[in-house]
Amino acid sequence: MQHVAHLDETAIEVANLSHIYAGAQGTVPALEEISMRVGSGRFTVIVGPSGCGKTSLLMMLAGLRAQSQGTILCHGRPISDPDPKRVGVIFQEASLYPWLSALDNIEFPLSLRGARERETRQQRRARAEAMLRLVGLEGFGERFPYELSGGMKQRVSIARGLVQDPPVLLMDEPFAALDEQTRMTMGHELLRIWSTMLKTVVFITHSLTEAVYLADEVLVMSARPGRIIDRIAVNLPRPRTYEMMATDVFGQLRDRIWQQIRKTP
Amino acid sequence: MKILLARLALLALVLAAWELMPRHEIVNPLLLPPLSDVLAMLGELLQRPQVHLAIGVTAAEVAVAFLIAVPLGAALGVLIAENEYLGEVFKPVLFYVFSIPKSIFLPMFILVFGITFAQKVAYAAFTTTFVVMLSASAAVESVKQDYLLVARSYGATRMQILLRVYVPSMMPLLLEALRISMIFNFTAVMIAEMYASRAGIGHLIAGWGENFQMRQLFAGIIVLATVAILFNETVRYFEARCSTWRT
Repeated sequence: MQHVAHLDETAIEVANLSHIYAGAQGTVPALEEISMRVGSGRFTVIVGPSGCGKTSLLMMLAGLRAQSQGTILCHGRPISDPDPKRVGVIFQEASLYPWLSALDNIEFPLSLRGARERETRQQRRARAEAMLRLVGLEGFGERFPYELSGGMKQRVSIARGLVQDPPVLLMDEPFAALDEQTRMTMGHELLRIWSTMLKTVVFITHSLTEAVYLADEVLVMSARPGRIIDRIAVNLPRPRTYEMMATDVFGQLRDRIWQQIRKTP
Repeated sequence: MKILLARLALLALVLAAWELMPRHEIVNPLLLPPLSDVLAMLGELLQRPQVHLAIGVTAAEVAVAFLIAVPLGAALGVLIAENEYLGEVFKPVLFYVFSIPKSIFLPMFILVFGITFAQKVAYAAFTTTFVVMLSASAAVESVKQDYLLVARSYGATRMQILLRVYVPSMMPLLLEALRISMIFNFTAVMIAEMYASRAGIGHLIAGWGENFQMRQLFAGIIVLATVAILFNETVRYFEARCSTWRT
């Protein structure tokens, strides 16, 4: 299935966002004048050195942390509190609840809303089961997190992020804890899922290969205070294949990102 | 299975030694009466109204002290774990006091409450509250920040975060805290009864010991050991059931 991006619609718009931390030794500027626009259905990857504020930025996009200055619009409305209907978040460690089965973990967001919205227990269950199938874990629903491998846990976590069907998915280095082979497979799986669901994705990673492989556009951030120092369009055709990694175009894009990152002190 | 057999063999060995060694005077039967004599005495003691009364008094002291100490300690523990300022201020003091053997305060409790039911309860609750408090604050701190972040990102209310994230996440540590605090609680009641009292199993045991009534003394020990082990194992059973989500 070929993915079609709706470039005309804006999913996320960040304008002049700055953030200053009040630390023990005075204030520390963490983010400086960040402006970005993410088109609906686009896959945007943010890369940058450790401690550049990538995760802070993502937490602000999720409404989990407040910025000092600037605005964030998501589908035209400001984000100030977590809004699971607009934004799903997938964290670095899968962060599944160990006391819930895989299926119950996926259903967790729905069960929070359950009291407020009229959806029967069976309907919620059916939705969670559909998500479990989507991420390729049919038959593993009754397993507990300690019975799942790292890759499987992250699949459950993705299913949990998607279960409320939010138009925007924010992913904070979701595959960082996985071994390289699993990581490649998961990247490929993520693209497959993304292409069937038409989500807007903002994805943070340390891996340049992962960035080029996944992205429509790569945003490069500088060291603290974090600024966006380059925007690189990745015009490789979709669906992406492992073979593309060996091409010159792929190598040049990777190199350009690396040159930008190494410039920062 | 092999382990179980080995354990049963060990138990049989200890019981056989208890029976045979005093019988053949390898150990002094005046100090350690044979097991069968002790069990016969236990049967006899359990018929006596005086013993029933003592068990009732001790059980009431243990229960009331526990019912005071657990909610009080848990509330204080959560407070010092959740409130950064209170935590910073009180934690060092609490750790200092925790390291002091509480039994040295027993004379104080006698002066304030007299030799009474209230004195036993107050002393045991005082001792136990510290254990519960420190365990509860450790339990709160054991909850991973990620778990809270996930719940918040899905729009959980404060109450939902408390009931659906904090409580299950802390459960293994809370059960352990319950178990360990009961050991402290029971010990405190025993010490208080043996030190100075007019009723309770501890009072009887102290008396038997002073009068060199070893069969009665060991029968009393068997009763207490059984009760303590039963409580401990019951809680441990629930603990084992949630051991897989220990972080």
